[in-house]
Amino acid sequence: MGKLAGKKLLLLGERDGVPGPAMEACLKDSGAEIIFSATECFV
Amino acid sequence: MSTKVGIKSYSYCLNHAPETGSHYGGTPYEAYHSGKEQEYLDALPKHIQSYDHALHYAPNQTYIGGISYEEFEALPSGWVNNPLPDEKSKRYGKFGELMPEDEFLGLISACDEFELVWLEKNFAENVSKKLAEDPVITEAIVKRVLRPKNMHELSEIETEVKERAGLYLYNEGKIVGCIRSGHPTDDCLTAHVLMENLAGKASGVLALLHLMKNSGMNPNDLDFVIECSEEGAGDVGQRAGGNFAKAIAEVAGCVNASGCDVRGFCAGPVNAMINAAAQVASGARKNVAVVAGGSIPKLYMNSRDHVKKNLLALEDCVGSFAVLIVPDDGTMPVMRLDVLGKHTVGAGGAPQAVTSALTFEPLQSAGLTFTDVDRYAPELQNHEITEPAGAGNVPLANIKMIAALAVMKKAIEKPAMMDFIKKHGTIGFAHTQGHIPAGVPFIGHACEMINEGKIKRAMIIGKGSLFLARLTNLADGASFLIEAPEPVKTESTLSKEEIKAMLLETLSEVAGRLS
Repeated sequence: MGKLAGKKLLLLGERDGVPGPAMEACLKDSGAEIIFSATECFV
Repeated sequence: MSTKVGIKSYSYCLNHAPETGSHYGGTPYEAYHSGKEQEYLDALPKHIQSYDHALHYAPNQTYIGGISYEEFEALPSGWVNNPLPDEKSKRYGKFGELMPEDEFLGLISACDEFELVWLEKNFAENVSKKLAEDPVITEAIVKRVLRPKNMHELSEIETEVKERAGLYLYNEGKIVGCIRSGHPTDDCLTAHVLMENLAGKASGVLALLHLMKNSGMNPNDLDFVIECSEEGAGDVGQRAGGNFAKAIAEVAGCVNASGCDVRGFCAGPVNAMINAAAQVASGARKNVAVVAGGSIPKLYMNSRDHVKKNLLALEDCVGSFAVLIVPDDGTMPVMRLDVLGKHTVGAGGAPQAVTSALTFEPLQSAGLTFTDVDRYAPELQNHEITEPAGAGNVPLANIKMIAALAVMKKAIEKPAMMDFIKKHGTIGFAHTQGHIPAGVPFIGHACEMINEGKIKRAMIIGKGSLFLARLTNLADGASFLIEAPEPVKTESTLSKEEIKAMLLETLSEVAGRLS
């Protein structure tokens, strides 16, 4: 368990950067609760 | 079947539409209806750039071919404060034009088949005269602007808006017409939706007309059109039934063409190019024009931030493009069908996986490496628009990912990354019109540079934000290569008569030996 254990996370991804699902995959074993994840497009 | 097709011609146009955009662009329209952002709405008109400024703006001239890509690349940063000189700021470029808003409204009226566009009589007459001066606008199109059913008194226009849910059209701060509602209850045929669709159609028509001019093709000879914008034309039964392609071909006078639409958000144009190339390579079509009009809702999309930071709101042009695909004859730049990037369902959304699927994997399959591609053209949004809005420099972010992958795959050394980015990347010059910047604006410049012997190979990359439609969390992407032509190998063939003569000669020899 890392320093994110027990935290609640809001993940805002971007298509040409790091998308939401990619962040979710990285953080799934962090012990944090992902309460919102989305990918947006600003172009 | 050939795996190459020729890119015979291309066109790129912009329609300046600041007043339409400041009323009906998605962000201002939403702000107006929320009733909570009056300060922003009051400020927006003070941040609009004039048509003359838009003409002198380097990214716009690069898009329409007023300046070459190399001229653009050599310009100092801060294009908005460094206008081009007058001699490089003309309405017409090598690829197309930057049309002023009043003429665009006239063209939208000309594209209307259902009395949906009413223009004030004097405005329609004046704008028809201006349109008649445009070298690609036909007499038939000018006449359509002057159809009595599309010309009305201002009082009739006001009644239509107030009593039947129409939307005003503006020019120089005055009401000059309206878009009418297409149905009393159907959400797919409201004046707002119809305005978007008619503007998409009209800008697509302009691109197709320039394509016919640039290619020297008689419109009668066009076989098929594939339209690849992001608009949805339909009714309550089928919200995006289509078909823009055929509607555009009709106004452009391409009487022997048919067409269909391809969709995929910003990945639509690259997928449409692949679709068109496959049809031509297989012989299914003699030639195909890939066409897209632009988007009114995308106008001033990031203008909240531009206003907040006291910058010019530059998202004021509806973009369009068209590319003509024909069989490869060894004389024109080619598009390869055997080296296609495909972002598969299973590839996932991690940047490394997406970049690999669109660049490394197709190149590897063709025995090529990263440095074999002279220029990568991924998502060419103008960073002077996107950076103040917090969306960063999209083409730079993409080429950095490609360079990083090239290091990982040992195609280049890590210290060479910045050189690779500078040498092989492209600077964005397209409006944030969704599908319009998706790699395809570089097709024209790539072909010009290939024809001038300056590059041999370019990769066009489009990425689509499928997740916006709430059907899937996935994005999509596709890519293809453009290369310099090679002489076409012709197989020698014998005619029936020649075969007959050879057989007779052989039989005669055999008969001679027997006797």
